[in-house]
This record gives sequence, structure tokens and C-alpha cells, in this order.
Amino acid sequence: MWEIGQCFLNGLFAATKPLYLYYALIGAILGTITGILPGLGPLGAMAILLSFTLKMDATSAMILFAGIYYGAMYGGSTTSILLNIPGEAASVVTCIDGYKMAQKGRAGAALTVSAVGSFVAGTISIIGLMFVTLFLSDIALKFGPSEFLAIGLCGLAFLVRLSGGSIFQSFIMSLIGIALGTVGTDAITGVERFTFGVRDLGQGIDFLPVAMGLFGIAEVLFTVADKEAPASPKKVRIKELLPTREEWKRIFAPVLRGSFLGFFIGLVPGPSPIISTFVSYFTEKKLSKRPEEFGQGAIEGVAGPESANNAAVGGAYVPLFALGIPFTPAMAMVLGALMIHGLTPGPSLIKEKPDLFWTVIASMYIGNCMLIVLNLPLVNIFVNILRVPQRILMPIIVLVCMIGVYSVNASLLDLLLLAIFGLSGYILRSAGFQVAPLILALVIGPMLETALRQALNISGGNLWTVVSKPISLSLYAATLLTFILPVILKKFRSAKKAG
Amino acid sequence: MNWKGEGSQRAISVVLLALSLFYLLSSFKYKVGTYKIVGPGFLPLVIGILLVVSTGLHLVRVFRAKPGERKPRESAGETADTGIEHESMEGKESAETAAEGGNYLAIGGILACTAAYPLIIEYLKFVLSTFMVGFAMFILLKPRSIVLSFILSAAMALSCFLIFSRLFGVALPSGPLEVFLYRIGS
Repeated sequence: MWEIGQCFLNGLFAATKPLYLYYALIGAILGTITGILPGLGPLGAMAILLSFTLKMDATSAMILFAGIYYGAMYGGSTTSILLNIPGEAASVVTCIDGYKMAQKGRAGAALTVSAVGSFVAGTISIIGLMFVTLFLSDIALKFGPSEFLAIGLCGLAFLVRLSGGSIFQSFIMSLIGIALGTVGTDAITGVERFTFGVRDLGQGIDFLPVAMGLFGIAEVLFTVADKEAPASPKKVRIKELLPTREEWKRIFAPVLRGSFLGFFIGLVPGPSPIISTFVSYFTEKKLSKRPEEFGQGAIEGVAGPESANNAAVGGAYVPLFALGIPFTPAMAMVLGALMIHGLTPGPSLIKEKPDLFWTVIASMYIGNCMLIVLNLPLVNIFVNILRVPQRILMPIIVLVCMIGVYSVNASLLDLLLLAIFGLSGYILRSAGFQVAPLILALVIGPMLETALRQALNISGGNLWTVVSKPISLSLYAATLLTFILPVILKKFRSAKKAG
Repeated sequence: MNWKGEGSQRAISVVLLALSLFYLLSSFKYKVGTYKIVGPGFLPLVIGILLVVSTGLHLVRVFRAKPGERKPRESAGETADTGIEHESMEGKESAETAAEGGNYLAIGGILACTAAYPLIIEYLKFVLSTFMVGFAMFILLKPRSIVLSFILSAAMALSCFLIFSRLFGVALPSGPLEVFLYRIGS
């Protein structure tokens, strides 16, 4: 415990270096902006900015990305409350009661509650992140390829189950992601696969053009398709920001509940920030003494979900740092940034690069402090970003995507891939396919293949030995349950209704 | 084009199956190995088979579906199967709904610009190709003034060149104009 405190203090000291403070601030601002802009979520922002991290050191890149992720959660709530437009998917629930509060003239209070809840949740999740990551990474050091294979497969299966849309279509997307991951030189035998004589494909399909295409370019196309309706946000006066004493009392428990719920849901594979907001909303509605107020401007309906989505961000970092496996598409982006710098996260990273781990953790806390300062007094400035015409913003984003992709490998193939995946992302998403499983599968596919081959080699070719290890078996069973349980429950409910 | 329509869904399912078959057939080239020493062709073969089976089933489902039966769900980015429908979801939905009857020229133009950029950058070099692509996109998105679009795209091309080449040290395709700008920038 004492040691953890000391490490955190060392991290805090390192995180206060001007350069790291600068990146934390830039991340917080960019995150808030992307959170405010409908369509461009943290995932798109990270994809667009991935190439910009090339010239940074790994710690700065992590700090920037953490700021973007947290900032987007803060920023998303602003437009949900003021305009009934969720800046990003995790703020959809906030619209329900947040906008109603704004209509009743309590927009300032809703914004403050959202920011304070996010801050408290961020703080709790960072504490959780420290302890759970260290605990889990110690255990993970004993894991072999069989366990990593199980974790990777289960993570992917959970994402397919929970990412929304058709499970079957998401399954196809994850298979395509794994298939794309097999392109290039085989890491074990050196055999070139699916390169068809294209030399640049020998290094494999880079994560960057795929991510930027599916999320960056496709998002621009969706925005362009939408008829531009200039937003007219109302001004919020500073004196309106303070909630009443009664409101402070009412948010205390929802904020705490949302924080813990969010953190633990964040540990589960899938779009955890989004799921956590819905779970928190329903929990608060169920526990509330005034459930009839929900949907009419209940402050608990803002405080709980806003705390939950921020806490889920901290939770989502745990599997990445402790196991080296991203459970969410945004974490796949963070993994991509680390890999660009030649680092592979996982239990050994914390042991080998403790400075990076603790500085990033401490900077998350600093970023949270920056966000609460940025978001409340400057809320009117941020909302005005919505007034920038899309006809100016969108070409800039496309150009940044193209130059960003080119700047990593100076490869024309990457630019072509960007166009191909931009078009594919637009078509697939329009047709109802989820592309998040594809991106996650592309990142963890090569890891899964290596783990599978190593595990089979160690077990002498016995597949049962690979799957029957206690941890692996429990994970496979848990995954199976997530698919079977909803079906059983549905049948049980319909039988109960019929009976 | 309406990608939610029956015809589009069918076209997508056919393309997916064709790509899966191509992947599976290509995977036969690589050695599968044994259970103990798995070869480079093992995973591609397994994934190829799974892909063909699942995209085949998808195709059957799409072709068998009665009109109006299949409704694409929420699809933008990270979304969850939460079972809540709310009016504010309209933000994301509207983008897709608008795509049905929306700005095809701009969408096609942006895609064409993205595809054309790698083809022209080697010949026209960075600044000119970035300017041209930027200008085309500004025009496609119906600017208030062509002069403003010209100025904006020129400013974008120049600032991007200076930021990426000088600040990030990226070696961008350069001709006499880029060399000249690089010297000025330094």
C-alpha cells in the first residue's frame, strides 16, 4: 500500500513536467471538442491523432490519449444537456433528464453535476485502476499462452455480444478483422501470406489506415450526408452553474454508485462506457424515491450515468495495462499508439517501464482536474465550436487523416487502404454492421494466432489441454453463459407470461 | 444510394461471400502443419471456412428475408445493445437516414478525393496535390465563396507541409516548391 502511494507520488511528480502537463491539457481540450462535436467520438479523434503521436515519446502519447478519452466523456454531456444532441454515444442517456433540466432552466446545475460526478468517478476509477491493475498484472505474470488465448477470444466474444446490432453480423466483422490480421509475414515461419506480390503488404495491413478509414473517413461521410443544421446553443451564466443544497444531497449516492458500477463494467469487454450509463440510469431509477421524475429532469438521471461513463474509462485501462489485451476499440487505439513506439503493454510493461505506467496514471488525475476547470467556466466557448460550419471542418479532418496515414510509413498503399476502408466503413455501417469488432480483431488477431500456436506446441498438439486449464475453462464458460443466459431468460419470461 | 435497402443488403452479402471465398481459396497455398507444430496456413484455413459458412448463412438470411423484415440497427461507432430507444438517438440516426436521400455528390467526391490523393501525390508532390484535393473537397461541400475555398485549401496545404515536415520531421514527397518552402520555413 505504502509502496503504491510512493509510486503514485513519483508518477505525480513526473506528470507535472511542463511537457506532460501540455499534452494532458491538449488531450483534455481535444477530447472535450470531440465529445461536443456530434459524430466525432473519442475513437475517431484517437484514430485521426494516432499519427501525431509518432514524434512524441510513449508517455506523452498515452497522456494525450487518456485526456482525449476522458475529455470526450465530459464534452459529450455538454451538448446532451444544452441541445439534446449526444456528442458521443456514452452521453445518450444524459439527454433524457439533462435536456429536460435545461428546459426547466437548470442547465447550469446539470452541467455542474455532470462535471463533478465525472470528476469524482474519474478519481475513484484511477484509484481502482492502480490497485486492480497491479493485482491483475501479478496474476497475469503466471499466465501462459493458453490463458492469453482464452482472454483474447473471450474479449472478442464479449464485444460481439455487447456491441449492439446483429450478433451474427458482428461475428462476421470479427472474422474479417482476424483475416486482415493474417496478411503479411508470418511471425513464426517468415512465410508471406496474402501479399499477392505487393511488397508493402509484407509488413501486414497497418492498424492506422483501417482505423482512420472505418472511423475517421466514414464518420466524415456520415456527417456530410447529414443536412447541416446550424446549432444555436443557449448561453449558460456562471451564477447558474451552482446546484441547490437539495440537489447536492440528491446526487451524492448516485455519483458514488455510478462510479463503482462504471469502473467494474469498464473491466468487461465491450463498449463499457455506453453500457455503464444505461445500467446506472436504470439502477438510479429503481432505487429512487421519486422514480416518476425520471425522464422529466431528475438530477440523479444525470449524475449517475455521467459518473458511470467516466469511471468506465478508468476500468477499460485495466485489461490493457494488466493483460496487454484491449477490451474496447478505444483501448485498441491506445494499444496501437504504444505499438508505434515499440512497446507491448501487459504485465511485463509495468515491471519494465514503471515510470510510464505511474506517470500516465498520475496524469489521468491531473487531466481530470484540468477538465473540471475547463468544462465549467468555459462551457460557452466549447459549445460555440458547434457553430463552425461542417463544410470547413470536414475537409480539414479528411486531409489530416490522409496526411497522418501517409506520415507513418510514407506508403501509398496505406493511403489506398484508407480510401478503401473509408468506403467500406460507410457502407457497412449504413447497412447496420458494427465495425468495432473488426478493429479489435485486427489488433488482437495476430496475438491470438501466436498464443494458439504456442499453446498447441507446449501441449504437444492436444487441444483439450489448451482449453481445459482452470482459468481458460472458466473464461470460456463465462463467455458461453453470456450468449446462452439471455436466451434462457427470454424463454423463461415468455413462458411466465404465457403461464 | 440507400445502403439499408433490400438490394444493397443483397449486394453486400454477395460481396462478403465472394471475398470470403477468395480468402479461403488463397489460404490453401499455405502449409497447415500438424496440431503440435501449427503452420502458417492453419488459422487462415479455419478463419476462411468460418467466413465462408457465416457469410453464406448471412446471404441466405438476406435473400430469404421478406421486405421490411430486416431493419439495420444503430450503427455509428461504439454503440451498445441496451434496449433503450430515446429521441436523442436521432442525432446518429439522422446521419444515416439523411444518407439515404442526402448529399451523394459530396460523399462520392470525398471518396474520390481520398482515392485520388495517393495516385497524384507522387507526380504533383505534396503541396500541390494536397491543395487540389482540399480545394475539390471545399467546392464539393458547397462553399459560400470560391475565393475563400481557394485561400483555405492553400493555407491548409502550406500549414500541413510545414507542420509535418518541420515539426514532425516527416519526409513528404517534395519537388522544387516543397524545397523552397522548406528553406523558407527553416
